[in-house]
Amino acid sequence: MVGLLRSLNPVCGFLRHSRSQCRFLGSKAPFDLDLDAQNDKYSEVNNMYTKLFTGESSESTTLVSEVNKTDSNLYESEVDEFNAELAETYDFSPKILSGEELAKLVKTPGRFMIQSLSKNPYYNLAVEDYVFKNTPVEKNGSFSNERLLFYVNDKCAVIGKNQTPWKELFLQNCKSRGYQYVRRLSGGGAVIHDLGNVNYSYLTSRNAFRREYFNEQIVAWLTQVRPETNISLNERGDIQLDDLKISGSAFKIAGGKSYHHGTMLVNANLASFKGLLKPAHIDGICWSGGSVDSVRSHVKNIQDAGFKSTNEFIDICIRGFRSTFQEDVPVYLVDEVNTQTDNIMETTDQLASNEWLYDSGPKFTVTLGSFKFSVEKGLIVDSSMPHMKGKRFKTFVDSLNNQEFETLKTTI
Amino acid sequence: MLRFGSQSMVRLTARSTPRLFLRAQSTNALNTAQTPFTFSKSGPSAIKYTTQHEWIAAHQDGTAFVGITKYAADALGDATYVELPEIDTELEAGDSLGSLESVKSASEIYSPVAGTVVEVNESLNDSPQLINQDPLGEAWIAKVRVNSLEDLQKEDLLTLEQYEDSLKEDH
Repeated sequence: MVGLLRSLNPVCGFLRHSRSQCRFLGSKAPFDLDLDAQNDKYSEVNNMYTKLFTGESSESTTLVSEVNKTDSNLYESEVDEFNAELAETYDFSPKILSGEELAKLVKTPGRFMIQSLSKNPYYNLAVEDYVFKNTPVEKNGSFSNERLLFYVNDKCAVIGKNQTPWKELFLQNCKSRGYQYVRRLSGGGAVIHDLGNVNYSYLTSRNAFRREYFNEQIVAWLTQVRPETNISLNERGDIQLDDLKISGSAFKIAGGKSYHHGTMLVNANLASFKGLLKPAHIDGICWSGGSVDSVRSHVKNIQDAGFKSTNEFIDICIRGFRSTFQEDVPVYLVDEVNTQTDNIMETTDQLASNEWLYDSGPKFTVTLGSFKFSVEKGLIVDSSMPHMKGKRFKTFVDSLNNQEFETLKTTI
Repeated sequence: MLRFGSQSMVRLTARSTPRLFLRAQSTNALNTAQTPFTFSKSGPSAIKYTTQHEWIAAHQDGTAFVGITKYAADALGDATYVELPEIDTELEAGDSLGSLESVKSASEIYSPVAGTVVEVNESLNDSPQLINQDPLGEAWIAKVRVNSLEDLQKEDLLTLEQYEDSLKEDH
Protein backbone atom coordinates (compact mmCIF):
# COMPACT_ATOMS: atom_id res chain seq x y z
CA MET A 1 0.00 0.00 0.00
CA VAL A 2 2.87 2.30 0.73
CA GLY A 3 4.17 1.63 -2.73
CA LEU A 4 0.80 2.36 -4.25
CA LEU A 5 0.44 5.69 -2.51
CA ARG A 6 3.90 6.73 -3.50
CA SER A 7 3.26 5.82 -7.09
CA LEU A 8 0.44 8.31 -7.13
CA ASN A 9 3.03 10.95 -6.58
CA PRO A 10 1.38 13.90 -8.31
CA VAL A 11 -1.53 13.86 -5.92
CA CYS A 12 0.04 12.48 -2.79
CA GLY A 13 0.28 15.96 -1.32
CA PHE A 14 -3.44 16.22 -1.65
CA LEU A 15 -3.99 12.84 -0.07
CA ARG A 16 -1.73 13.74 2.78
CA HIS A 17 -3.59 16.98 3.19
CA SER A 18 -6.98 15.35 3.43
CA ARG A 19 -5.72 12.62 5.70
CA SER A 20 -4.32 15.09 8.18
CA GLN A 21 -7.63 16.95 8.10
CA CYS A 22 -9.51 13.81 8.97
CA ARG A 23 -7.19 13.12 11.81
CA PHE A 24 -7.63 16.63 13.13
CA LEU A 25 -11.39 16.68 12.82
CA GLY A 26 -11.43 13.51 14.89
CA SER A 27 -9.63 15.25 17.70
CA LYS A 28 -12.46 17.69 18.43
CA ALA A 29 -14.46 14.89 20.04
CA PRO A 30 -13.56 15.79 23.66
CA PHE A 31 -15.83 18.84 23.68
CA ASP A 32 -19.15 19.66 22.11
CA LEU A 33 -19.08 22.68 19.85
CA ASP A 34 -22.82 23.20 20.11
CA LEU A 35 -22.60 24.03 23.78
CA ASP A 36 -22.65 27.60 24.88
CA ALA A 37 -19.18 28.92 24.23
CA GLN A 38 -19.43 31.26 27.18
CA ASN A 39 -19.45 28.30 29.46
CA ASP A 40 -16.14 28.80 31.24
CA LYS A 41 -15.28 25.15 31.31
CA TYR A 42 -15.40 24.80 27.56
CA SER A 43 -13.95 28.12 26.68
CA GLU A 44 -10.88 27.14 28.61
CA VAL A 45 -10.61 23.92 26.67
CA ASN A 46 -11.22 25.80 23.45
CA ASN A 47 -8.59 28.33 24.31
CA MET A 48 -6.16 25.56 25.01
CA TYR A 49 -6.79 24.11 21.59
CA THR A 50 -6.58 27.54 20.05
CA LYS A 51 -3.20 28.15 21.59
CA LEU A 52 -2.08 24.67 20.76
CA PHE A 53 -2.69 25.12 17.09
CA THR A 54 -1.76 28.74 16.66
CA GLY A 55 1.37 28.97 14.59
CA GLU A 56 1.05 25.36 13.56
CA SER A 57 0.87 24.36 9.91
CA SER A 58 -1.53 26.38 7.81
CA GLU A 59 -4.07 23.59 7.41
CA SER A 60 -4.50 23.26 11.16
CA THR A 61 -4.93 27.00 11.51
CA THR A 62 -7.67 27.00 8.91
CA LEU A 63 -9.57 24.33 10.75
CA VAL A 64 -9.29 25.97 14.13
CA SER A 65 -10.65 29.21 12.79
CA GLU A 66 -13.54 27.37 11.17
CA VAL A 67 -14.29 25.60 14.41
CA ASN A 68 -14.33 28.88 16.24
CA LYS A 69 -16.59 30.54 13.70
CA THR A 70 -19.34 28.18 14.82
CA ASP A 71 -19.01 29.63 18.29
CA SER A 72 -20.47 32.87 19.57
CA ASN A 73 -19.15 36.37 19.08
CA LEU A 74 -16.90 35.94 22.05
CA TYR A 75 -14.17 34.79 19.72
CA GLU A 76 -14.55 37.47 17.13
CA SER A 77 -11.29 39.16 18.08
CA GLU A 78 -9.53 35.83 17.97
CA VAL A 79 -11.02 35.13 14.59
CA ASP A 80 -9.50 38.40 13.49
CA GLU A 81 -6.25 37.30 14.97
CA PHE A 82 -6.43 34.06 13.05
CA ASN A 83 -7.27 35.89 9.89
CA ALA A 84 -4.23 38.05 10.31
CA GLU A 85 -2.11 34.98 10.84
CA LEU A 86 -3.74 33.28 7.91
CA ALA A 87 -2.99 36.26 5.73
CA GLU A 88 0.61 36.02 6.83
CA THR A 89 0.76 32.27 6.30
CA TYR A 90 -0.83 32.55 2.91
CA ASP A 91 1.11 35.61 1.86
CA PHE A 92 2.70 34.29 -1.27
CA SER A 93 3.93 37.65 -2.48
CA PRO A 94 7.53 36.66 -3.11
CA LYS A 95 10.30 37.62 -0.69
CA ILE A 96 13.99 37.80 -1.47
CA LEU A 97 15.61 35.27 0.81
CA SER A 98 18.81 35.82 2.73
CA GLY A 99 21.42 33.09 2.53
CA GLU A 100 20.44 31.85 6.00
CA GLU A 101 16.75 31.80 5.10
CA LEU A 102 17.46 29.83 1.95
CA ALA A 103 19.63 27.37 3.87
CA LYS A 104 16.87 26.80 6.42
CA LEU A 105 14.14 26.56 3.80
CA VAL A 106 15.99 24.06 1.63
CA LYS A 107 16.74 21.72 4.52
CA THR A 108 13.14 21.78 5.78
CA PRO A 109 10.81 19.19 4.24
CA GLY A 110 8.06 20.47 1.96
CA ARG A 111 7.42 21.83 -1.48
CA PHE A 112 8.35 25.30 -2.70
CA MET A 113 9.33 27.25 -5.78
CA ILE A 114 12.23 29.63 -6.24
CA GLN A 115 12.65 32.30 -8.86
CA SER A 116 16.13 33.74 -9.20
CA LEU A 117 16.46 37.40 -10.08
CA SER A 118 20.13 36.90 -10.91
CA LYS A 119 21.11 36.64 -14.55
CA ASN A 120 24.50 35.11 -13.77
CA PRO A 121 24.46 31.55 -15.17
CA TYR A 122 27.18 30.35 -12.77
CA TYR A 123 25.31 31.64 -9.73
CA ASN A 124 22.01 30.24 -10.92
CA LEU A 125 23.49 26.79 -11.50
CA ALA A 126 25.11 27.00 -8.05
CA VAL A 127 21.75 27.78 -6.40
CA GLU A 128 20.19 24.86 -8.24
CA ASP A 129 23.00 22.57 -7.12
CA TYR A 130 22.66 23.81 -3.54
CA VAL A 131 18.92 23.16 -3.44
CA PHE A 132 19.46 19.76 -5.06
CA LYS A 133 22.15 18.62 -2.64
CA ASN A 134 20.45 19.89 0.52
CA THR A 135 16.86 18.83 -0.07
CA PRO A 136 16.10 16.13 2.51
CA VAL A 137 15.18 12.57 1.52
CA GLU A 138 13.15 10.59 4.02
CA LYS A 139 14.58 7.20 4.88
CA ASN A 140 11.19 5.49 4.63
CA GLY A 141 11.02 6.23 0.93
CA SER A 142 8.10 8.66 0.81
CA PHE A 143 8.92 12.00 -0.80
CA SER A 144 6.93 15.22 -0.85
CA ASN A 145 9.80 17.73 -1.08
CA GLU A 146 9.42 18.56 -4.75
CA ARG A 147 10.97 21.87 -5.69
CA LEU A 148 10.72 23.99 -8.80
CA LEU A 149 13.25 26.66 -9.74
CA PHE A 150 13.17 29.33 -12.42
CA TYR A 151 16.07 31.40 -13.70
CA VAL A 152 16.83 33.49 -16.75
CA ASN A 153 20.48 33.74 -17.77
CA ASP A 154 22.33 36.46 -19.61
CA LYS A 155 23.67 35.43 -23.01
CA CYS A 156 25.59 32.17 -22.63
CA ALA A 157 26.50 28.95 -24.43
CA VAL A 158 26.02 25.91 -22.18
CA ILE A 159 27.38 22.39 -22.69
CA GLY A 160 26.72 19.15 -20.82
CA LYS A 161 29.03 17.85 -18.10
CA ASN A 162 30.47 15.16 -20.36
CA GLN A 163 31.11 17.25 -23.46
CA THR A 164 34.19 18.90 -24.95
CA PRO A 165 33.86 22.68 -25.35
CA TRP A 166 36.00 23.03 -28.50
CA LYS A 167 34.01 20.28 -30.18
CA GLU A 168 30.62 21.80 -29.37
CA LEU A 169 31.11 25.57 -29.48
CA PHE A 170 32.70 28.25 -31.63
CA LEU A 171 34.28 29.61 -28.45
CA GLN A 172 35.83 32.58 -30.27
CA ASN A 173 32.46 33.64 -31.66
CA CYS A 174 30.83 33.17 -28.26
CA LYS A 175 33.42 35.42 -26.67
CA SER A 176 33.35 38.14 -29.29
CA ARG A 177 29.54 38.28 -29.27
CA GLY A 178 29.30 38.29 -25.48
CA TYR A 179 28.00 34.76 -24.84
CA GLN A 180 29.64 33.36 -21.73
CA TYR A 181 30.78 29.75 -21.91
CA VAL A 182 29.15 27.53 -19.24
CA ARG A 183 29.61 23.84 -18.48
CA ARG A 184 26.71 22.55 -16.41
CA LEU A 185 26.61 19.71 -13.86
CA SER A 186 23.99 17.64 -15.67
CA GLY A 187 24.22 15.56 -18.82
CA GLY A 188 23.01 16.31 -22.32
CA GLY A 189 24.04 18.56 -25.18
CA ALA A 190 24.95 22.13 -26.04
CA VAL A 191 22.39 24.94 -25.93
CA ILE A 192 22.30 28.75 -26.16
CA HIS A 193 20.55 30.94 -23.56
CA ASP A 194 19.64 34.61 -23.56
CA LEU A 195 17.19 36.83 -21.68
CA GLY A 196 14.32 35.51 -23.80
CA ASN A 197 14.81 31.99 -22.48
CA VAL A 198 13.49 30.61 -19.18
CA ASN A 199 15.29 27.80 -17.37
CA TYR A 200 13.06 25.64 -15.20
CA SER A 201 14.33 22.98 -12.85
CA TYR A 202 12.08 20.35 -11.29
CA LEU A 203 13.48 18.42 -8.35
CA THR A 204 12.01 15.15 -7.11
CA SER A 205 13.15 11.81 -5.69
CA ARG A 206 15.13 9.31 -7.71
CA ASN A 207 12.29 6.84 -7.33
CA ALA A 208 9.76 9.26 -8.81
CA PHE A 209 12.10 10.24 -11.64
CA ARG A 210 10.67 9.81 -15.10
CA ARG A 211 12.22 11.83 -17.91
CA GLU A 212 9.01 12.88 -19.62
CA TYR A 213 7.03 13.68 -16.48
CA PHE A 214 7.67 17.38 -16.05
CA ASN A 215 7.57 18.26 -19.74
CA GLU A 216 4.20 16.51 -19.93
CA GLN A 217 3.02 18.82 -17.16
CA ILE A 218 4.28 21.91 -19.00
CA VAL A 219 2.58 20.84 -22.24
CA ALA A 220 -0.68 20.37 -20.32
CA TRP A 221 -0.39 23.78 -18.59
CA LEU A 222 0.44 25.66 -21.80
CA THR A 223 -2.31 23.92 -23.72
CA GLN A 224 -4.80 24.76 -21.01
CA VAL A 225 -4.00 28.46 -21.39
CA ARG A 226 -4.03 28.38 -25.19
CA PRO A 227 -5.96 25.32 -26.37
CA GLU A 228 -5.58 26.33 -30.01
CA THR A 229 -1.78 25.85 -29.99
CA ASN A 230 -0.07 22.74 -31.28
CA ILE A 231 2.36 22.04 -28.43
CA SER A 232 3.50 18.47 -27.85
CA LEU A 233 6.37 16.21 -26.82
CA ASN A 234 8.61 14.74 -29.48
CA GLU A 235 10.04 11.22 -29.34
CA ARG A 236 13.03 12.46 -27.30
CA GLY A 237 10.72 13.98 -24.67
CA ASP A 238 11.43 17.55 -25.79
CA ILE A 239 8.64 20.08 -26.08
CA GLN A 240 7.85 21.26 -29.59
CA LEU A 241 5.58 23.87 -31.12
CA ASP A 242 4.21 22.66 -34.43
CA ASP A 243 7.25 20.68 -35.54
CA LEU A 244 10.04 22.78 -34.05
CA LYS A 245 11.73 22.39 -30.71
CA ILE A 246 11.06 25.15 -28.17
CA SER A 247 12.70 23.49 -25.18
CA GLY A 248 15.67 21.28 -24.33
CA SER A 249 16.24 19.10 -21.27
CA ALA A 250 18.99 17.61 -19.16
CA PHE A 251 18.91 15.56 -15.96
CA LYS A 252 20.92 14.74 -12.90
CA ILE A 253 20.49 11.88 -10.44
CA ALA A 254 22.40 11.73 -7.17
CA GLY A 255 21.84 10.95 -3.50
CA GLY A 256 18.37 9.48 -3.96
CA LYS A 257 17.16 12.64 -5.73
CA SER A 258 16.87 13.81 -9.31
CA TYR A 259 16.32 17.01 -11.19
CA HIS A 260 15.10 17.73 -14.65
CA HIS A 261 16.14 21.13 -15.88
CA GLY A 262 15.01 22.50 -19.16
CA THR A 263 15.01 25.59 -21.29
CA MET A 264 11.94 27.32 -22.73
CA LEU A 265 12.53 29.68 -25.63
CA VAL A 266 9.97 32.43 -25.12
CA ASN A 267 11.26 35.41 -27.08
CA ALA A 268 14.95 34.63 -27.53
CA ASN A 269 17.00 36.31 -30.22
CA LEU A 270 17.30 33.13 -32.26
CA ALA A 271 18.85 34.82 -35.30
CA SER A 272 21.91 35.74 -33.26
CA PHE A 273 22.43 32.13 -32.12
CA LYS A 274 23.83 31.30 -35.54
CA GLY A 275 27.55 30.53 -35.56
CA LEU A 276 27.77 29.69 -31.85
CA LEU A 277 27.09 25.94 -31.85
CA LYS A 278 29.33 23.83 -34.04
CA PRO A 279 27.92 21.47 -36.66
CA ALA A 280 28.54 17.74 -36.18
CA HIS A 281 31.35 17.76 -38.77
CA ILE A 282 33.92 20.33 -39.80
CA ASP A 283 36.35 19.44 -42.58
CA GLY A 284 39.90 18.79 -41.45
CA ILE A 285 38.98 18.26 -37.79
CA CYS A 286 38.19 14.87 -36.31
CA TRP A 287 37.23 14.28 -32.68
CA SER A 288 37.21 10.94 -30.93
CA GLY A 289 36.65 9.98 -27.33
CA GLY A 290 33.83 9.36 -24.94
CA SER A 291 32.34 12.84 -25.15
CA VAL A 292 28.56 12.95 -25.45
CA ASP A 293 27.19 14.15 -28.80
CA SER A 294 24.70 16.99 -29.16
CA VAL A 295 21.60 16.38 -31.26
CA ARG A 296 21.09 19.34 -33.59
CA SER A 297 17.54 20.62 -33.87
CA HIS A 298 15.81 23.61 -35.42
CA VAL A 299 14.17 25.77 -32.80
CA LYS A 300 11.51 28.45 -32.43
CA ASN A 301 10.04 30.67 -29.68
CA ILE A 302 6.71 30.03 -27.92
CA GLN A 303 6.06 33.70 -28.56
CA ASP A 304 4.91 32.43 -31.97
CA ALA A 305 2.01 30.74 -30.17
CA GLY A 306 0.99 33.94 -28.38
CA PHE A 307 2.89 33.54 -25.09
CA LYS A 308 4.21 37.02 -24.55
CA SER A 309 6.96 37.06 -21.98
CA THR A 310 9.27 34.97 -19.84
CA ASN A 311 7.19 36.07 -16.83
CA GLU A 312 3.98 34.84 -18.41
CA PHE A 313 5.57 31.43 -18.87
CA ILE A 314 6.83 31.39 -15.28
CA ASP A 315 3.38 32.40 -13.98
CA ILE A 316 1.73 29.60 -15.94
CA CYS A 317 4.18 27.11 -14.42
CA ILE A 318 3.64 28.47 -10.89
CA ARG A 319 -0.13 28.09 -11.23
CA GLY A 320 0.29 24.69 -12.87
CA PHE A 321 2.61 23.43 -10.13
CA ARG A 322 0.09 24.42 -7.45
CA SER A 323 -2.76 22.74 -9.26
CA THR A 324 -0.76 19.57 -9.92
CA PHE A 325 0.02 19.20 -6.22
CA GLN A 326 -3.32 20.62 -5.01
CA GLU A 327 -1.34 22.80 -2.63
CA ASP A 328 -0.63 26.52 -2.35
CA VAL A 329 3.08 26.00 -2.86
CA PRO A 330 4.96 29.21 -1.95
CA VAL A 331 7.32 31.09 -4.28
CA TYR A 332 10.51 32.68 -2.98
CA LEU A 333 12.96 34.97 -4.69
CA VAL A 334 16.74 34.78 -4.57
CA ASP A 335 19.40 37.06 -5.98
CA GLU A 336 23.14 37.17 -6.00
CA VAL A 337 23.44 40.10 -3.58
CA ASN A 338 21.00 38.99 -0.87
CA THR A 339 21.06 35.24 -1.16
CA GLN A 340 24.58 34.10 -0.50
CA THR A 341 25.83 31.08 1.39
CA ASP A 342 29.51 30.04 1.49
CA ASN A 343 28.60 26.90 -0.35
CA ILE A 344 26.71 28.67 -3.15
CA MET A 345 29.47 31.22 -3.67
CA GLU A 346 32.14 28.49 -3.77
CA THR A 347 30.18 26.52 -6.35
CA THR A 348 29.63 29.72 -8.38
CA ASP A 349 33.41 30.26 -8.47
CA GLN A 350 34.12 26.64 -9.31
CA LEU A 351 31.64 26.62 -12.19
CA ALA A 352 33.27 29.75 -13.60
CA SER A 353 36.83 28.46 -13.10
CA ASN A 354 39.10 27.50 -15.99
CA GLU A 355 39.70 24.19 -14.31
CA TRP A 356 36.02 23.21 -14.51
CA LEU A 357 35.41 24.83 -17.90
CA TYR A 358 38.45 23.56 -19.80
CA ASP A 359 40.28 20.88 -17.81
CA SER A 360 37.65 18.59 -16.27
CA GLY A 361 35.77 17.04 -19.18
CA PRO A 362 36.15 13.61 -20.78
CA LYS A 363 39.48 12.66 -22.32
CA PHE A 364 39.57 12.95 -26.07
CA THR A 365 41.76 12.76 -29.16
CA VAL A 366 41.52 15.35 -31.91
CA THR A 367 43.11 15.25 -35.34
CA LEU A 368 43.82 18.66 -36.87
CA GLY A 369 45.11 18.37 -40.42
CA SER A 370 47.93 15.87 -40.12
CA PHE A 371 48.51 16.29 -36.41
CA LYS A 372 47.01 14.31 -33.58
CA PHE A 373 46.50 15.43 -29.98
CA SER A 374 45.40 13.26 -27.08
CA VAL A 375 44.08 15.24 -24.16
CA GLU A 376 43.39 14.17 -20.57
CA LYS A 377 42.33 16.59 -17.85
CA GLY A 378 43.05 19.52 -20.09
CA LEU A 379 46.64 18.45 -20.76
CA ILE A 380 48.07 17.15 -24.03
CA VAL A 381 49.32 13.69 -23.04
CA ASP A 382 50.35 12.62 -26.50
CA SER A 383 50.85 14.45 -29.79
CA SER A 384 52.37 14.02 -33.21
CA MET A 385 53.26 17.72 -33.11
CA PRO A 386 56.70 18.08 -31.57
CA HIS A 387 57.02 19.70 -28.12
CA MET A 388 53.28 19.79 -27.48
CA LYS A 389 53.22 16.93 -25.00
CA GLY A 390 52.59 18.20 -21.49
CA LYS A 391 51.18 21.55 -22.65
CA ARG A 392 47.72 22.69 -21.68
CA PHE A 393 45.28 22.12 -24.53
CA LYS A 394 43.58 25.47 -23.95
CA THR A 395 46.92 27.31 -24.25
CA PHE A 396 47.64 25.38 -27.43
CA VAL A 397 44.24 26.31 -28.89
CA ASP A 398 44.77 29.99 -28.07
CA SER A 399 48.14 29.88 -29.91
CA LEU A 400 46.59 27.99 -32.79
CA ASN A 401 43.81 30.53 -33.16
CA ASN A 402 46.43 33.30 -33.13
CA GLN A 403 48.01 31.63 -36.15
CA GLU A 404 51.24 30.98 -34.27
CA PHE A 405 52.03 27.67 -35.96
CA GLU A 406 53.73 27.56 -39.37
CA THR A 407 52.79 23.96 -40.00
CA LEU A 408 49.15 24.12 -38.85
CA LYS A 409 46.90 26.86 -40.17
CA THR A 410 43.47 26.18 -38.76
CA THR A 411 41.26 27.53 -36.02
CA ILE A 412 39.05 25.62 -33.62
CA MET B 1 -1.73 8.19 -13.05
CA LEU B 2 -3.43 5.33 -14.80
CA ARG B 3 -0.03 4.20 -15.95
CA PHE B 4 1.31 4.18 -12.41
CA GLY B 5 -1.76 2.40 -11.17
CA SER B 6 -1.44 -0.43 -13.61
CA GLN B 7 2.24 -0.86 -12.80
CA SER B 8 1.41 -1.27 -9.16
CA MET B 9 -1.09 -3.94 -10.07
CA VAL B 10 1.57 -5.87 -11.93
CA ARG B 11 3.90 -5.61 -8.96
CA LEU B 12 1.28 -6.77 -6.53
CA THR B 13 0.83 -9.81 -8.70
CA ALA B 14 4.58 -10.38 -8.82
CA ARG B 15 4.77 -10.31 -5.05
CA SER B 16 2.66 -13.43 -4.76
CA THR B 17 5.30 -15.35 -6.75
CA PRO B 18 7.47 -17.58 -4.53
CA ARG B 19 10.70 -15.84 -3.52
CA LEU B 20 12.99 -18.67 -4.58
CA PHE B 21 11.57 -18.55 -8.03
CA LEU B 22 12.20 -14.81 -8.16
CA ARG B 23 15.77 -15.26 -7.04
CA ALA B 24 16.42 -17.75 -9.80
CA GLN B 25 14.88 -15.35 -12.26
CA SER B 26 16.67 -12.30 -10.95
CA THR B 27 18.50 -10.20 -13.51
CA ASN B 28 20.28 -8.40 -10.69
CA ALA B 29 22.38 -11.45 -9.85
CA LEU B 30 26.11 -11.31 -10.59
CA ASN B 31 27.17 -12.78 -13.94
CA THR B 32 29.16 -15.86 -12.91
CA ALA B 33 31.06 -15.98 -16.20
CA GLN B 34 32.76 -12.59 -15.86
CA THR B 35 35.76 -11.19 -13.96
CA PRO B 36 33.85 -9.83 -10.94
CA PHE B 37 32.87 -13.43 -10.19
CA THR B 38 35.80 -15.41 -11.59
CA PHE B 39 38.52 -13.19 -10.10
CA SER B 40 39.19 -15.77 -7.38
CA LYS B 41 38.85 -19.52 -7.70
CA SER B 42 36.25 -19.80 -4.97
CA GLY B 43 34.25 -16.84 -6.32
CA PRO B 44 33.27 -13.78 -4.28
CA SER B 45 33.02 -14.19 -0.51
CA ALA B 46 30.26 -11.58 -0.38
CA ILE B 47 27.94 -9.97 -2.94
CA LYS B 48 25.95 -7.00 -1.68
CA TYR B 49 23.71 -4.25 -3.03
CA THR B 50 22.96 -0.66 -2.06
CA THR B 51 19.68 1.22 -2.07
CA GLN B 52 21.34 3.51 -4.64
CA HIS B 53 21.49 0.52 -7.02
CA GLU B 54 25.19 -0.34 -6.86
CA TRP B 55 26.49 -3.89 -6.40
CA ILE B 56 29.77 -4.98 -4.85
CA ALA B 57 31.41 -8.38 -5.15
CA ALA B 58 34.25 -8.85 -2.66
CA HIS B 59 36.81 -11.62 -2.76
CA GLN B 60 38.72 -13.26 0.07
CA ASP B 61 41.92 -11.23 -0.60
CA GLY B 62 40.09 -7.91 -0.06
CA THR B 63 39.63 -7.11 -3.75
CA ALA B 64 36.13 -6.02 -4.68
CA PHE B 65 34.38 -5.12 -7.93
CA VAL B 66 31.71 -2.44 -8.04
CA GLY B 67 29.08 -1.74 -10.65
CA ILE B 68 25.44 -0.75 -11.09
CA THR B 69 22.49 -3.13 -11.10
CA LYS B 70 20.51 -4.29 -14.09
CA TYR B 71 17.50 -2.54 -12.61
CA ALA B 72 19.35 0.81 -12.60
CA ALA B 73 20.83 0.29 -16.06
CA ASP B 74 17.38 -0.47 -17.47
CA ALA B 75 15.78 2.48 -15.69
CA LEU B 76 18.42 4.93 -16.92
CA GLY B 77 18.39 3.82 -20.55
CA ASP B 78 21.19 3.73 -23.11
CA ALA B 79 24.52 4.70 -21.56
CA THR B 80 26.47 7.27 -23.55
CA TYR B 81 29.38 7.99 -21.23
CA VAL B 82 30.92 6.53 -18.09
CA GLU B 83 33.02 8.81 -15.92
CA LEU B 84 35.50 6.51 -14.18
CA PRO B 85 37.23 7.30 -10.89
CA GLU B 86 40.95 8.00 -10.55
CA ILE B 87 43.17 5.07 -9.68
CA ASP B 88 44.48 5.36 -6.09
CA THR B 89 41.47 7.39 -4.98
CA GLU B 90 40.75 6.67 -1.35
CA LEU B 91 37.06 6.33 -0.72
CA GLU B 92 34.74 6.37 2.25
CA ALA B 93 31.48 4.44 1.97
CA GLY B 94 29.08 6.67 0.04
CA ASP B 95 31.79 8.67 -1.76
CA SER B 96 31.39 9.26 -5.46
CA LEU B 97 32.89 6.52 -7.59
CA GLY B 98 32.22 8.24 -10.90
CA SER B 99 29.07 8.83 -12.87
CA LEU B 100 27.07 7.49 -15.73
CA GLU B 101 25.45 9.51 -18.48
CA SER B 102 22.48 8.04 -20.29
CA VAL B 103 19.93 9.86 -22.41
CA LYS B 104 20.90 13.30 -21.08
CA SER B 105 20.95 12.15 -17.41
CA ALA B 106 24.12 12.30 -15.37
CA SER B 107 23.81 9.86 -12.44
CA GLU B 108 26.30 9.59 -9.62
CA ILE B 109 27.70 6.22 -8.66
CA TYR B 110 28.68 5.72 -5.01
CA SER B 111 31.16 3.40 -3.36
CA PRO B 112 29.32 0.86 -1.15
CA VAL B 113 32.30 0.54 1.24
CA ALA B 114 35.54 2.29 2.21
CA GLY B 115 38.58 1.38 0.14
CA THR B 116 41.06 2.41 -2.53
CA VAL B 117 40.50 2.29 -6.28
CA VAL B 118 43.11 -0.05 -7.78
CA GLU B 119 41.78 -0.41 -11.31
CA VAL B 120 39.01 1.00 -13.50
CA ASN B 121 37.26 -0.70 -16.38
CA GLU B 122 38.81 1.15 -19.32
CA SER B 123 36.68 -0.73 -21.83
CA LEU B 124 33.75 1.45 -20.71
CA ASN B 125 35.50 4.48 -22.24
CA ASP B 126 34.96 3.18 -25.74
CA SER B 127 31.95 0.98 -25.07
CA PRO B 128 29.62 2.61 -22.54
CA GLN B 129 26.80 0.45 -23.96
CA LEU B 130 28.30 -2.49 -22.02
CA ILE B 131 26.51 -0.96 -19.03
CA ASN B 132 23.20 -1.90 -20.65
CA GLN B 133 24.38 -5.25 -21.97
CA ASP B 134 26.08 -6.78 -18.93
CA PRO B 135 25.93 -4.41 -15.93
CA LEU B 136 26.63 -7.21 -13.42
CA GLY B 137 29.56 -8.68 -15.29
CA GLU B 138 31.61 -7.21 -18.10
CA ALA B 139 30.56 -3.66 -17.20
CA TRP B 140 32.04 -3.57 -13.71
CA ILE B 141 33.13 0.00 -13.06
CA ALA B 142 35.94 -0.13 -10.53
CA LYS B 143 38.12 -2.62 -8.76
CA VAL B 144 38.58 -1.54 -5.17
CA ARG B 145 40.82 -2.77 -2.36
CA VAL B 146 38.41 -2.65 0.55
CA ASN B 147 39.66 -1.40 3.91
CA SER B 148 37.92 -4.22 5.74
CA LEU B 149 35.99 -7.22 4.48
CA GLU B 150 33.86 -6.90 7.60
CA ASP B 151 32.32 -3.76 6.09
CA LEU B 152 30.51 -6.03 3.66
CA GLN B 153 28.43 -7.27 6.60
CA LYS B 154 27.13 -3.80 7.50
CA GLU B 155 23.38 -3.56 7.80
CA ASP B 156 22.87 -0.91 5.16
CA LEU B 157 24.21 -3.25 2.49
CA LEU B 158 21.53 -5.52 1.10
CA THR B 159 21.55 -9.14 0.01
CA LEU B 160 20.17 -9.86 -3.45
CA GLU B 161 16.87 -10.90 -1.92
CA GLN B 162 16.65 -7.76 0.21
CA TYR B 163 17.52 -5.62 -2.80
CA GLU B 164 14.85 -7.24 -4.93
CA ASP B 165 12.35 -6.75 -2.11
CA SER B 166 13.32 -3.08 -1.81
CA LEU B 167 12.57 -2.63 -5.51
CA LYS B 168 9.09 -3.99 -4.97
CA GLU B 169 8.47 -1.69 -2.02
CA ASP B 170 9.91 1.35 -3.73
CA HIS B 171 7.93 1.39 -6.89
